[in-house]
Amino acid sequence: MHKSMKTLLIAAASTVAMVATTMAQETPKTVGYIVNYATHEWYQNVIGGMQDRAAELGIELEVIDANLDIAKQVSAAEDFMARNVDVMIITPVNEEGAVPILRRAKAAGVPVVLEGNPVVGMDTLVAICDYDTGYNAGVEAGKWAKENLEGPVRVMNVGLPLLSATVLRSNGFMDGIRTEMPDAELVHDLDGGGNPDRAQEVSAAALAADSDINVIYGINDSSALGGLQAWRAAGLPEDNLLVVGTGGEGLAFLNEMAKDGPLQLEAAMFPEKVGFTSMDAAVAMFNGEDLPEHIVSPTHTLTPETALEFYDFDGESRQINWERVNELEAPDQCMKYASDL
Amino acid sequence: MSVTSDQSPTRQARGLSLGGLLRNEQIFLIILLAVLIVGLSLAAPRFMTAENATAILHQSAMVLIVAVGMTMLLITAEVDISVGASLAFASCVVMDVINTTSSLTLGILAGLAFGGGVGLFNGLVVTRLKVNSLIATIATMMILQGGVFLYTREAVQNHHQIEAFSLIATGYVGPVPVPVIIAALLAVVFYVMLNYTLIGRRVFAVGSNPKAARLSGLSPETIKLVAFVVTGILVGVAATILASLLNAGQPTAGRGFELIVIAAVLLGGTSLFGGKGTIAGTILGVLILKIIDNGIIILRWNQDLQIIVPGVVIILAMFLDQLRKGRTDG
Repeated sequence: MHKSMKTLLIAAASTVAMVATTMAQETPKTVGYIVNYATHEWYQNVIGGMQDRAAELGIELEVIDANLDIAKQVSAAEDFMARNVDVMIITPVNEEGAVPILRRAKAAGVPVVLEGNPVVGMDTLVAICDYDTGYNAGVEAGKWAKENLEGPVRVMNVGLPLLSATVLRSNGFMDGIRTEMPDAELVHDLDGGGNPDRAQEVSAAALAADSDINVIYGINDSSALGGLQAWRAAGLPEDNLLVVGTGGEGLAFLNEMAKDGPLQLEAAMFPEKVGFTSMDAAVAMFNGEDLPEHIVSPTHTLTPETALEFYDFDGESRQINWERVNELEAPDQCMKYASDL
Repeated sequence: MSVTSDQSPTRQARGLSLGGLLRNEQIFLIILLAVLIVGLSLAAPRFMTAENATAILHQSAMVLIVAVGMTMLLITAEVDISVGASLAFASCVVMDVINTTSSLTLGILAGLAFGGGVGLFNGLVVTRLKVNSLIATIATMMILQGGVFLYTREAVQNHHQIEAFSLIATGYVGPVPVPVIIAALLAVVFYVMLNYTLIGRRVFAVGSNPKAARLSGLSPETIKLVAFVVTGILVGVAATILASLLNAGQPTAGRGFELIVIAAVLLGGTSLFGGKGTIAGTILGVLILKIIDNGIIILRWNQDLQIIVPGVVIILAMFLDQLRKGRTDG
């Protein structure tokens, strides 16, 4: 109790210090954010976090959706530069396409914060650690399996091999779970496309071939829940099953956790916090501060109980608990990067 | 089971030559299906299990439901590219209405009405504004893909928790999944309608020769309009199953669904030029595509092949259709 109180005081003090530092800085008047795909729940929450932080700091935030079109992203960047925004935040549509944007922004003297994906020539990137997120969820899954599951751990990974970030998550999960359950076996390694209908379809086929599975891991919530729905459609019992989701970008995982069903762990990546941190990085860049190349945004493995500490959830909407999320500490660097694959 | 006019005794008497088999598409499809089943059983022992057969039928159900409507539409010489986008939008509408009203019936009716409404819109654009159906329904697809994000920015979650709703997609009657029963019933209804009713004969007449049909007192526009609406309503049925299956209305679902449906119908021997097609062929086309999908997953091949295969099938089916048309014309 004494220790946790001390931790809380330290966290509170560091948060106050961070806010005070930010408030003491000059703040940019306008920040332009070019999001790669605003219709995705993840990015809606990133934008939400950015808007919250911008409102706190009195910054005008303008958002343009590139809608997965690099040409649109380039023209949005030109538009922002022509209108003299103070800082740009960009989630690159693709890594190569964003290089000329960075070059032109540098020439125009507009600082750029990248979100999500690294690009050659960048100054700073705000992103989570994908491998660490999967690894930590894997460790928790191993502990949960030890206590609650019968028989050896047999995993179905509903993955997305196309992207290095999601491969890192899956690899991290398997490495993490094996720290607790060394014999854990990866039975199905699937390409669920990152969307629920494809995830459901490939999972259904895999489960028809071999349903002797007791852990489903999804690289995002759509994948995890697509796998779970395939399990249900196959009429399989849920009493010896653990589902682990990743992302926590929408309401789906909170709904499923509220049922106290097999979704017992969620590797939450707090998109709102990513947006919040990106805005703070934009302010720091505006003030000419030296920033690390990779600013890590924290992640945390949630259970049905702890999920409600981080999110107020009334069944139809969710509200992030900033105080609790800002207490989370992020590592200085990731355990593994895409270059390690 | 065929209603087509090109199965004359002369053609049947051509024997078992490869060309003859290609022209008798249903025999060709049955042989192809058998080869696939035997080949996959040998390559992957887990393919030939009751569980996998059930999974394949389950995955085929939604495609078949829309494909029977698409068969009728293609027989009238029209096509609907918007079915995938409509499927996603309608799934959101179904879930939203059930959430709002706590009524399963109203939710399902809303889905059917939405799908039917999209079909009506497509039908009116094609028959009244005289826009080519390929172009018109691509435009509708774009409207729906953008419109669904005005309707909801994120997946519509299940807030009603009505038990019966989840059973629509995940329930079983004996060993048979509910969606398979729904698809089978609809296939039988459309088989009977196309083969044994006046409406069916009119559909074929309009597709075969619209001028002759008009001279006979038929209104090709009305029949085409009805075919669009019916296809739309079937999209509503599939959307209800999709919402139940995913336990959410998913605005991003259904991408590429239209191509799988059209590939299956064309593979089944329905002509893109109208006037020719069978429900039996469509069933075989759906099963072949879904068995290939299943095989790709079970054999752990690159799943991008699942997208490539329907594309190849469309080209192959169009080539065979041209071949048959050339023979008929010649």
